[in-house]
Amino acid sequence: MNCYEHTFIAKQDLPSSQTKTLVNKYEDIIKKNSGKVLKTEEWGLRNLSHIIKNNKKGFYFHIKFEGIGTTIKELEKAGNIDEMLIRYLTVKVKKHNLEENFFEKKDYLENR
Amino acid sequence: MIKKRRKFNKKQKNSRYSSLSLFQKPDTNFFKPCPLSGKNAPILNYKNIKLLKRYISESGRILPSRITSVSLKKQKELSRSIKRARLLALL
Repeated sequence: MNCYEHTFIAKQDLPSSQTKTLVNKYEDIIKKNSGKVLKTEEWGLRNLSHIIKNNKKGFYFHIKFEGIGTTIKELEKAGNIDEMLIRYLTVKVKKHNLEENFFEKKDYLENR
Repeated sequence: MIKKRRKFNKKQKNSRYSSLSLFQKPDTNFFKPCPLSGKNAPILNYKNIKLLKRYISESGRILPSRITSVSLKKQKELSRSIKRARLLALL
């Protein structure tokens, strides 16, 4: 088993109720193909640094998981077909860093 | 004619480098340690945008290591992670 990180960007006009179904869809693909989901992160709506396929903003999702070669194959196959996605990236890592989240939203309202 | 020569001589004396010989070693040390290796080094990752932004120019190009004094091993890692961040439109 190897450690991987999968990040994908969904289109801006995705309704908020559908974000969970989208994440669940990709988690199921990992689980079905002998993988194991460790952590999922939502980076929220972010501005893209440059326009991709006429999109200026996108929802970012990040999944950390363990898997084998076929897991990645099925993930990327689904990513290519999916119309809701703008782009995805899968990266192999030596060790997972489950504690640090670089895109964590700080709740300024609570600390007031 | 004499006046002109005097002016020329004065200029040479006033210049800063007149006393420096070509073979003299400079007093200041130009060596800077690599900021990304060693103890307490920050995490180099395609997600750590704050760090990566320090190593690109205003127009978005990767800065050469002779300017930033990043070691060769880390420069390879740095360029790889900058390119990954570009793909995800983070930079």
